[in-house]
Order: sequence, then structure tokens, then C-alpha cells
Amino acid sequence: MPTVTIHPTGEVIYLEPGETVLSGLYKAGFAYTVGCRRGGCAICKVDCRSGQFRYDHPVADTVLTEDEHLDGTCLTCRAVPDTDITIELRGENVRLVNTFLHMINDKARQRAEANAAARLMAGTTPKEQ
Amino acid sequence: MAVMRLGYAHVRVTDLAEAKDHYANTMGLYETLSEGNKVYYKAWDEWDHHSVVLEEGGVGLVKYGWKVQYSSDIDEIEKKAQTFGVTVERMSKGENPEIGDGIRFTTPSDHVFEIYHEATLIGTEVGTHNPDAFPRHLVGVGVPALDHSLITAEDPGMMDRFLSDVFGFYATERVQTSLDDDADIIATWMTNSIQIHQLAVLAGPQGKLHHFAFRLADWTEVGRAADLFSMDDVPIDIGPTRHGITRGQTVYFFDPSGNRNEVFSGGYLAYPDRPMHVWTPDALGKGVFYHARELNDAFTSVLT
Repeated sequence: MPTVTIHPTGEVIYLEPGETVLSGLYKAGFAYTVGCRRGGCAICKVDCRSGQFRYDHPVADTVLTEDEHLDGTCLTCRAVPDTDITIELRGENVRLVNTFLHMINDKARQRAEANAAARLMAGTTPKEQ
Repeated sequence: MAVMRLGYAHVRVTDLAEAKDHYANTMGLYETLSEGNKVYYKAWDEWDHHSVVLEEGGVGLVKYGWKVQYSSDIDEIEKKAQTFGVTVERMSKGENPEIGDGIRFTTPSDHVFEIYHEATLIGTEVGTHNPDAFPRHLVGVGVPALDHSLITAEDPGMMDRFLSDVFGFYATERVQTSLDDDADIIATWMTNSIQIHQLAVLAGPQGKLHHFAFRLADWTEVGRAADLFSMDDVPIDIGPTRHGITRGQTVYFFDPSGNRNEVFSGGYLAYPDRPMHVWTPDALGKGVFYHARELNDAFTSVLT
């Protein structure tokens, strides 16, 4: 499953299938400035430095301009990564507010990485299993 | 009295199915009409055809409808709006389903207002003959009525004058840069009845919606609403808490498209001769969130 790397701290967050960036960060114990959490207020935008994502709901033109659909702007509450992505927050850093969630997420990420490595060794892909 | 009340709030939503679930099943509004990409709702203690309109495609406010007491009030408001310098257009019966002739204009704050006198009478859910206190089978929060709204404008002082001159509203409370007579208005709470506010205007971008609110009876109902929001995964913005300004009890939350809603109860009775409450920016935290006494960034910057 996709991961979110936070630039510049290098924290790596593991996402569940179909999970948004904001939900993933929240479930990993992180917080930053967010608003409606429903794609309407545009406060939770970050910059996506690498990787691909899509939006799980229609996003209003007043929230994301045409340029912002192309320039790496990522509305995190509605963005679902298709690949591993790297994001950079605008003018602030994520805050670790729940260390227990962070530990759980880290273990989930380690398990996913171990499974991926095992599949690579066996020469299979997830779809072939 | 010319304007009686905020008749309807017409808002855009990004996903109509999700929005319908929120307004019908969490808030407990009654769907009265579904037409194309729009759905019309009324609350249980409202009698006119609709008070909330959802339109799929975007987010934020489309327009407000203001109901006046007499049809002649429409002409009066038209004249006053024109005198203020606003371009007024006529609105024909049927342009809004079940709403009569009226006028439409864009306010100095870039919000669209419609003024009307006629609306199809449906009746409250408890009727008028020996009515019970509430409908037995309310859904979710079961809000009784739309209450008020808050918008943002670059010049709240201008909107204060506009609502005074055109609507005959008066300010019950204001936030000002200072207590001096020539201070700038940062926010104003306005009404023309004993309802503590019908429309409030906060300094901010033009044409934006901060929230529209539903009325509840008391603290207990506000607390119960907050419980239901957690059950239904409704993002709560703030509360339950009390406002210093208006003294109302409140929960702010977001609909599935990110439009901010509020449930509001309490507050004191307003009268035109009651001395206005004036707040200064250093006390704004207490004015908005009476218990936390700290204004968060998101409250003034999260808009649709």
C-alpha cells in the first residue's frame, strides 16, 4: 500500500487501501492545521513533491484551481495516493500528538515492507498471490 | 417590520447523496422537493415550503432568501437598496419553486439576497390544531428551524450600514478595533426582531459563507446534537461551548462538502433600545468561545 513521506523530516506513514493523506497522518498520530476535513475549505493543502494521487470526491473549482490540479498541490483531506508520495507542508511541520498511534502505524509499515520484500524474493506480485 | 426572517439558505454541495444523508438523517430535515441537481428541505417547526436548498456542484453559498411580512415591503426594500447604490432585479414567481415574486440583488459583500413575500404553506409537523410539543418520530438531531447565518465581507462596517438602511436591522453586538466612536467594525451581529441575530458579518473575503445555523431549545439538545455528530462521523469544528457574544450555546460542525453548520440555543432577547454590546479584539477569544477564551486560526479562516 502507498506510503506518505513527510519532507524534510523523512517520517514515513503507512496508509490503508483507499485512505486519504490526512486520514493516514491522523491515524499515525500526526496533526497539523486542518479545517472542514471534507474538501470544502482548502486549509489542509500541502505540496506533493513526488508520487501520484487522486481525489476520492469531486473538488469544487473554488477550492482547487486548474493550475493547482497540475502543480503538485494536494488537498490532503480528499487525496488518495496511487503511489508512494512525498509531501511538504506549507509553513509548518506536522506535530506528533499521539505516540501510540505512531507506534502502531510504524509497525504496520514495517510489516508491509517485510511482506513486499518477501514477495520480491519469491518473484511474485500481490496480484499473483 | 419588513424582513421577518432568513427564509432559506441555498448552498452548493459536492456530493448530493452524502449531503442528503447529512441534512435528512443527521439534522432531521424533511425533504419537500427534489428537482434536477437541487433538493429542498424544511425543518419540523417551519411551515413554509423550504428553508434549506442543496445544489450539487461546488461548495459555499448560492444565495439567501429573506421573507418579508407584506408584499409592499418588497418595493420598499427595492427602493432602499437602489438608494444605497445596489442594482436590483425583479424575481418572478416560480424562479424558486413554491416562492412568489420578489427582488434579487448582490450585496456590497458579494452575497446574493432574494426578497420574497409568498411561499407555499406546508405547515409544521405538529400542525396548528391542539399541537403537540414536537413530532414523535424525529430523525437525528431533529432541528426545528433554520436560525441565522454568518458571512464574511471585506468591509463589515459597510454591511452594517447596508443592513441598517435597507433591511431596517440593528446591531445587537459588534467587535470594533477600539471603544472609540470612530473605530472600525470587525464584526457585527444584526437583527430586526427579538431574535439575537439573524445575520452576522465578519471581516474576511467577499462572498464567503462562514456558517448557517439551526435553532435548538437548550444546552441539553446542543449536547445531544454533539453526541449524534460523533455517532455519524460529522467533523465537529468547536464545542459544545458558549459564545460570549450573544451568550448562545453552540456546536459548530461541517456538512459532507465542508460547509460549516451550527446548532445554536439560548442567547438573550434583543430589543432596538437595548444598549449594544461592544467587544474589542483583545477579548474576541472570550467573545467567540466563552469557555476556551482562545480564538483558533481555523475559526476565522475556514470558509466556503
